[in-house]
Amino acid sequence: MAENKSKLSIVTNGIIKENPVLRLVLGTCPTLAVTTAVSNALGMGAAFTVVLICSNIVISALRKVIPDKVHLPCYIAIIATFVTLVQMVVQAYSPSLYTALGVYLPLIVVNCIVLGRAEMFACKNTVLDSALDGVGMGIGFTLTLTAMASIREILSAGSWLGITIIPESIDRFTIMGSAPGGFFTFGFLMAMVILYENRTNNKIKRSIGCAGNAEEEA
Amino acid sequence: MANLFFIFFSMILVNNYVLVKFLGICPFLGVSKKLDSAFGMSCAVIFVMVLATAVTWPLETYILDPNGLHYLQTIVFILVIAVLVQFIEIFLHKYMVALYNSLGVYLPLITTNCCVLGVCILNFTNEYSYLEALFCAAGSGFGFMAAMVMFSGVRKRVDAANPPECFKGLPITLVAASITSLSFMGFGGIMNSIFGIAA
Amino acid sequence: MNTIVLAIIIVTIVGLLGAAILVAAAKFMAVYEDPRVGEITAVLAGANCGGCGYAGCADYAKAVVEGKAPCDKCAPGGAACSAAVASIMGVGASTGVPKRAMVACSGSNDKCKQKFDYQGIESCAAAAMVSGGPSACAFGCIGKGDCVAACKFDAIHVVNGVAVVDRQKCTGCSACTVVCPKHIIFMKPLEEKPVVECSNKEKGPIVMKECTAGCIGCMLCQKNCPEGAITVTDFVASIDYDKCTGCGICTEKCPKKVIYFVDGKPKTAPNEAAPAEEKAN
Repeated sequence: MAENKSKLSIVTNGIIKENPVLRLVLGTCPTLAVTTAVSNALGMGAAFTVVLICSNIVISALRKVIPDKVHLPCYIAIIATFVTLVQMVVQAYSPSLYTALGVYLPLIVVNCIVLGRAEMFACKNTVLDSALDGVGMGIGFTLTLTAMASIREILSAGSWLGITIIPESIDRFTIMGSAPGGFFTFGFLMAMVILYENRTNNKIKRSIGCAGNAEEEA
Repeated sequence: MANLFFIFFSMILVNNYVLVKFLGICPFLGVSKKLDSAFGMSCAVIFVMVLATAVTWPLETYILDPNGLHYLQTIVFILVIAVLVQFIEIFLHKYMVALYNSLGVYLPLITTNCCVLGVCILNFTNEYSYLEALFCAAGSGFGFMAAMVMFSGVRKRVDAANPPECFKGLPITLVAASITSLSFMGFGGIMNSIFGIAA
Repeated sequence: MNTIVLAIIIVTIVGLLGAAILVAAAKFMAVYEDPRVGEITAVLAGANCGGCGYAGCADYAKAVVEGKAPCDKCAPGGAACSAAVASIMGVGASTGVPKRAMVACSGSNDKCKQKFDYQGIESCAAAAMVSGGPSACAFGCIGKGDCVAACKFDAIHVVNGVAVVDRQKCTGCSACTVVCPKHIIFMKPLEEKPVVECSNKEKGPIVMKECTAGCIGCMLCQKNCPEGAITVTDFVASIDYDKCTGCGICTEKCPKKVIYFVDGKPKTAPNEAAPAEEKAN
């Protein structure tokens, strides 16, 4: 019973406590780029989750075999393989999603979340735990992206998943669909999360994912 | 010739990698706190971008594409970039110690940075020739530098301000970034008018 | 089948070529790094505070191994760290009296009034640019906390409008001395010697109007010091810690009670300012 509970906690960890985008501040590039429409966000989230789960499983299975000195190129090669597979599947079954995601689909390979979870979790835990972590992180990522995309799509196009919600007569807030709107929505969403954290005394120190370490070294 | 400069300047202003294309956000937010680290990081990025393009363009055009192996692009590119960055680090550490001391700490960060892989892939999406690709890479790097340096100035001012408690730290930085990005939107179409090239 | 084989061959070649280049580079372009650099970096305090004057702990370690820096520059590490560094380098450790930061101002909100109501960037550096700062005394602590932000050890805080150093937590890295726009934070040796808690260079009558805890330059301390350790320049007293013996005569003679002990028990009866200082400790 206790074991099952901890398995569930690994999944929920990725959704709430260690949400990769809002708490760990990783993977900010796709968060800002593909959240112009909810369909793109869901597609990106799905592709990302698949890559994360598969790479976590393989890296965890090979964790005792890969030597420490070359672990980084090995992880990158494994992740790149899965990204290429996902790329080809998406291109075949959903060409519109493929064009919408553009260059961000192959860029999942350098997504800080995937590499970060590989280094932080997959290389130290069992295959099942790593897979569950991948599920949790993927769901957390997708939910965050969907939330952001919802805000941006409703404000800029008045629709949600293509269904018009705000009547055509009301002017659209188009800037939310372009670059500044992305930054602003992200900042606003994070501020709301911090507000909630402050109220529930759950505050953590945020540093910007991968680059934050160099900032402390430099 | 005008075409090359059109590409170069449009990469800096109109298609700015950070503020318009959203590539390289992590270092943009993480390393732009101090001016010298922002400048150092962007110099390293320009260096790596141009070299990476120089190596990956011929690789894709002469080896992968003719053999119908376009799907290997992601894997091969990222491996090449990883090897290249590591090699540059070792080379600088041995032969250009001063440069290594200023740029060296940022080089490992650039390997897993979206902007370098992004520029290599985008060269092919835009179907550039070798020279155009190099100018595009250089322009993207300088655009990155322009955005980083400008933003470090903005951040200095923002950090001294007093926003509401929940906005302190990252959120207000993001809002500042959105306004910076807004200012770059004003450049839309400027390159077409200057160089007389249709959009 | 052919394309599959070709794909495998190409990726393998790229991988092997890359690996070969890196191995060759690591071998032929290897830079010899003295192992002592790593050992020294490990025993240092590791805060990267820059108090030693170098860009971080690793940089200082490198300077020590190259013989360019003495072994005792790491203030947060203290005497134990200097001894460890010296033993790694194989030399005897030099010791000096540790120094701790001291804010030469006691102008808290009840003692020193504000000239004007300042509304702007909440930073001492910015406030100092507006007619020398909102404080009635142009030389004193502005109290907006630039030093607090600079301190990596949580050893300095703004209490009642004036910065106060926690003598226990301060490690002597001197980061706050650099940041203060009024340059009133100095490094005082950690000994039982008094300190002049004022930096006001104005004449006595003007000081008395600005702040009730200001040094008026009456020179009673200078006339009574048996060692000649305290001198008044520009209407403000300052102590030469090389000459001071800690007898405490100046603390008794000072009419404004601006001189008192902060490190160690006061040898004279504490005035009303000293308990506030010790309470903040």
